[in-house]
This record gives sequence, C-alpha cells and structure tokens, in this order.
Amino acid sequence: MAELLGTFEQAVLLTILRLEDEAYGRAILSGVHEVLRRDVSAGSVYTTLDRLETRGLVNSKLAEGTPARGGRARRYYTVAIDGMRALNDARKTLAAMWANVQLPIEVQP
Amino acid sequence: MSMNRQTPPRWVEVLLERLLSERDRETVVGDLREEYAESVLSKRGRVGANLWYLRQALSLLRRSLGEEGRMKKALLPLSMFTFACACWLGVMEMMLRHPGYGTRVGVAVLIALISMATVLVRMADVGVGARGERWLWVGAVLLIGIGGQAFVRNARAAHFEGFVLVISVALIVQGLLTLASGIGRKGQARIS
Repeated sequence: MAELLGTFEQAVLLTILRLEDEAYGRAILSGVHEVLRRDVSAGSVYTTLDRLETRGLVNSKLAEGTPARGGRARRYYTVAIDGMRALNDARKTLAAMWANVQLPIEVQP
Repeated sequence: MSMNRQTPPRWVEVLLERLLSERDRETVVGDLREEYAESVLSKRGRVGANLWYLRQALSLLRRSLGEEGRMKKALLPLSMFTFACACWLGVMEMMLRHPGYGTRVGVAVLIALISMATVLVRMADVGVGARGERWLWVGAVLLIGIGGQAFVRNARAAHFEGFVLVISVALIVQGLLTLASGIGRKGQARIS
C-alpha cells in the first residue's frame, strides 16, 4: 500500500478530479477553499501540488493564458493512476476505521 | 484606467515574480491575478482584496524560501543585525542628545525589543501562545512601517545615508519574514 494521504492532500486530489478539464491553479485554490470551508493560503495549495507531483500522484501541463491573467500561462493538473490508487486506499482505510462505530457518535457534555 | 483598478498591487506582483521559481513565476502570479480580479475584488472590496493578495504573497514567499531551516537562516542574522543597530543608535542618541532624541531612543528600544522577541519566538521556539503570536505580528508590521518611513525619508533627504538604507531594508525584510514564517506555521499546522 502506498503512503497514506493527508486530509489536505485528499482535498486537493478530489478537487482536481471534480474539476476534470478545468483543474488549474486558481480553480483548485477556490475548490479546496469550498470543500474545506475555511480560508486556504495559496502557499499551502501550491506546496501540496508540488509534493503530489513529485510523488507521481498528479501530472501537469502548461496551457495558454487569458487577458484576465495578463496573458500568463495556466498549469493544468490531472490525477495520475497512482493518485487514483492512493485515493482509493485512503477511502478504504477510512471506511475500515469507521466500520464498527455507531453513528452519530454520542457527545456527552 | 478601469483595467488598472482590476489588478492587484503592482509592487507585490513584482516581488512575487522575482521570488518565485521560474516554473511557478508565470502560472502562480497569473492564478492570483485572475482570482483577485474575477472573485476576491467583488466579494471583499479593494482594501480587503489587497490584504487577501498580500496574505497569499506572504504564504508563497515562505514557500519560495523553502523549508523553515532556510527561513531561520535568513531571519536570525537579520534580527541580530537590527538589534545591534537599534542598540547602537539608541546609545548614540543618548550621548548626542539632539532635539527630539527621546522619541528616537524610544523607537530604537522598540526595534531592539521586537528583534529580541523575534529571535526568542522564531529561533528558540519559546512558546508565547496565540496572544503572543499576535503581538509579534504587530511588532513585524511596526518594523515594516518604521523601515518604510526611514527608507522614504532617506531617499528624499538632501544627504543620502547608506547605513540608513541598509538598516531600513533590513527592518522591512525582517518584518516580512516574521509575518511569512507565522503564516507558514499556521499553514503547516493545517496541512495534512
């Protein structure tokens, strides 16, 4: 089994999957912000994207920019096969961890 | 003109373009400009959007400086340098006693205290809690303000002083690094 993914890494990978062909930096940044419902810094997202790419979990390619970006290029990301496997492993691990827990967990004040 | 108002502060963009790696320079700055113009500006207004942009730039600044070890390597000599300069300036003011020296001694003491606090909190990892961290942020902003004012006054003065230029730039960079390392710490706690 590959090294387990952290919550933030899963959020980034799932956002890329959900965005399909529109998964470039800005869209991922807003997508992760929406998923986690908290302010997310660009530094955290780009650091995570770099790490995932180094580990071979995502691939990226450059595309042309738009006037709104001052003509600057976009970098589009896709989840690699190893990334899909890592997500499946993370999901299985989470399901196994929660398997015998009765929901909702009772909270006693 | 209206196009210009849709863009983030140019000086921060230039700073990012200088500091980011060649791989990220174009794409990341483009992403931030697009988000700023098409989403953040309408939601937060001009001031809020500029603050958002500055925060993103600081988080990227920390990233471009690499691991925390490299940040410490830059912050430690800067803090020690500004501490030494503040002590020297404070002592000189006390000795010379030119008009208004009291205020300048006060500013020197303030710089020395902030620099010492930076070394203790960021280098020696002395725990100060959330409130202490907020005070360090206030101190960092003050350093940027003091450094910025000294820089501008020096540039406009009839006699340009090289040492004032060096000290003012050191204060600004120290303040920015202190803020960036704080954001980095929060980010690290949230990642994974």
